[in-house]
Amino acid sequence: MSWISEERLKKLAERFGFIKIVDNPQASVIEVPKENLIDFLKFLKEDEEYQFKMFIDWTVIDHGKKADPRFQGVLILMSPKNWERIIIKVWATDERLPSLIPLWKGAKWAEREAWDMFGIKFDGHENLVRMFLWETYPYHPLRKDFPVRGYEEVELPSLNEKERFDQLEGMMNYSRKHTALPTLEDLEITQKKRMPNKKSQMVLNWGPLHPGTHGTIWFLFDMEGEYIKDCDIIIGQLHRGVEKLAENLNVQQIITYTDRMDYIAAINENHSVCIAGEKLLGIHEKIPEKAKYIRTMMAELSRINSHLLWLGTYALDLGALTMFLYTFREREKLMDIFEGITGARFTINYFRVGGVYADLPYGALDAIEHFIKELPERINDYETLLTRNRIWLKRNIDVCIIPEEDVYEYGLTGAVARASGVPYDLRKIDKYDAYGEVEFDIPVGEKGDSYDRYLVRMEEIRQSIRIVEQCVAKLRKMSKNDPFFYEPEDKKMKITIDGRGTKLKKGEVYAGADNPRGELGVYIYMPKDGIKPYRFRLRSGAFYNLQVFTKAIIGRPLADAITLLSTIDPVVGETDR
Amino acid sequence: MGIKKVGLNRNVRPQTLAEKIFFLDFIKGLKTTIKHLFRKVITVDFPYEVVEPTPRFRGVHGLRNVDGTEKDDFDAWVKKLKIKPPEKGETRCIACKFCQAACPVPDIFEIKAKKLDVPKDHPHYGLKVLDVFNMDLGKCMFCGLCTLACPTICIIHTDIYDLSTYSRRGWVLDKEKLSKIADDFIARRGSEKYDEKSEWPDYQRLWNEADLARAKAWENNPPKLGPNYADQT
Ligand code: SF4
Ligand code: SF4
Repeated sequence: MSWISEERLKKLAERFGFIKIVDNPQASVIEVPKENLIDFLKFLKEDEEYQFKMFIDWTVIDHGKKADPRFQGVLILMSPKNWERIIIKVWATDERLPSLIPLWKGAKWAEREAWDMFGIKFDGHENLVRMFLWETYPYHPLRKDFPVRGYEEVELPSLNEKERFDQLEGMMNYSRKHTALPTLEDLEITQKKRMPNKKSQMVLNWGPLHPGTHGTIWFLFDMEGEYIKDCDIIIGQLHRGVEKLAENLNVQQIITYTDRMDYIAAINENHSVCIAGEKLLGIHEKIPEKAKYIRTMMAELSRINSHLLWLGTYALDLGALTMFLYTFREREKLMDIFEGITGARFTINYFRVGGVYADLPYGALDAIEHFIKELPERINDYETLLTRNRIWLKRNIDVCIIPEEDVYEYGLTGAVARASGVPYDLRKIDKYDAYGEVEFDIPVGEKGDSYDRYLVRMEEIRQSIRIVEQCVAKLRKMSKNDPFFYEPEDKKMKITIDGRGTKLKKGEVYAGADNPRGELGVYIYMPKDGIKPYRFRLRSGAFYNLQVFTKAIIGRPLADAITLLSTIDPVVGETDR
Repeated sequence: MGIKKVGLNRNVRPQTLAEKIFFLDFIKGLKTTIKHLFRKVITVDFPYEVVEPTPRFRGVHGLRNVDGTEKDDFDAWVKKLKIKPPEKGETRCIACKFCQAACPVPDIFEIKAKKLDVPKDHPHYGLKVLDVFNMDLGKCMFCGLCTLACPTICIIHTDIYDLSTYSRRGWVLDKEKLSKIADDFIARRGSEKYDEKSEWPDYQRLWNEADLARAKAWENNPPKLGPNYADQT
């Protein structure tokens, strides 16, 4: 696991007397006083030896009403020099924290989210507005004193169902009360606050229900003729509070909710939670070999599935309708395979903390081999249609360049980071599951334009095929009686396939998987052993990747918005959580 | 780390002058699309053609009845929960509520057992039977955790996916409806999914190979299913 090395951490503690190293076996955590935070981070970011310049996540923990101070900020950084991580915690006295925007521009949305969810003010933030909820919403839902069901205070008579005058009873009846909903005025206020200083003549609204936005994203473009001068994005239409829900569930139940985040690559979302849960329990090395290979294989198939959908819709957006039909033909076969193995086509829920819930059914490997064998030829077909087509080149080359510094500044991950020349891939860095044992290359782009992002994803499909081939070969050699789920030797540890009684251990951990849309990291904080996680943070790759849209689009014509959005490829279920 | 560099001039050649002048890029693309013109249709014409869901498919729930294929510890469970030993054709449910405990949305279930009203000398005195079992499938997300938790393999997923009704009341299924769904399913496809001890056998197939609609989606060239592992037959 790639955490800052012991010796470097000690050196750091010697140099800065105020650092407190938290005793935590699963991750390297330090506590820093609020006054020293900015100077210390500046050192960490700029010092030659450490170079923790990549922003990963910045969030808050609520320690409950009685604790003083109540809130604690959690910052996760990555050093691209040594490929190692560090967690820095800081107490938010007076419910205030210093803003990190001068150091990392990516902190902007993270801080808005923390304000929205916890009500923490950030000193020095340029426009601290809410991230997901509308501006006039009175609560901060991730606070521990906010009930899971919310406050049901609006009357919606349509919820109460009557059939032919009979009053329905029990389960068939629904309460008339509903939690708060935004009205049109609320939305208008929200929109104005998001873009307080109009720079030019016209603000163009794009979305939230536009087919080109691939979900419910609402864009605000400040336009000067055809060119975009300023941009902000209103998301949250799909916000369901998965983090809040997770605090009231056991870890196997949370996996079902992550299915509904990035629904295009549900398997990968499940994977992240499993990796984090296993790391926290310290069993990640004891997972049965078979489960590891099945998971790696399924995760890569899911990546192919996701990239096929991306390619189809991306080409469709740029006017190549045929591509969409071709990729969906291939995708359909993959969905069939998923349906046969896991029982669902879309919301998979196949992985468990500790393995998978069932072995492969008869014939699964044959179907996968069959599919993998004919896929390379199909991809060549796609490439003859697109890669060197002059329209495609014109619409992609040098469009919306994302430079390498922005990858670090905004915490970009996945294909977007790799296209800008940063070989950041958790599969290589963390080597979770069987990724340490299979061979594959990381595709890396040159300058970070849309064309590079396209090529990187195309190459990723090819590399995924390579991984799947190796996994199938390895699985073929195993026995049908090999276990697919981890049985703890330790009597005190309880892990079940159905999740009843699965217990988490005290400690904190940050782990994740490299998903088709970037790194979905899971940060779990447990002050004591228990079934429900105390704080369950989902660091969404799509969320941070979408943030760079607001910068990369500046100065580009409106038509490029489609290209950029498609090549960033966010899924609203994951950005909104 | 294995790194592969991609980009124009790296793994993609830029267009040559000849390609630009003679529109060779378009001609190549047209070749691909024309090739597809002669392929067979792959669209499954729903609802006239229906793909049969796979054996593992997680559809509408059912409650299985006793039919002689219970697990070995079934009687022990019945005894432990003080349930009247069920006859053939009666429900397997022992009202243990494990399904509800595993479910992420527990208010889907309403499970109640009642004491039998029999005199003291009756052999069933003091035993219980299942009284109410309602499921509100409008709230269900078909995750399958309840079916994994059930100790008697009573609650199962069937292959029914069409759950549309005119009002939400249609989504609330009671125990009679659930039992009927399960009976139908077991009669139709039980042997595909379960062995004689109600476990998932290792001959359980990825999907039914005789399904023509699925074969059509696979361009009439579906994979031949065989054993996965070296020691599987
Ligand atoms: S499938 Fe999942 S959500 Fe539905 S009843 Fe079972 S456990 Fe609950
Ligand atoms: S777990 Fe099975 S036996 Fe227990 S109450 Fe649920 S359906 Fe009945």
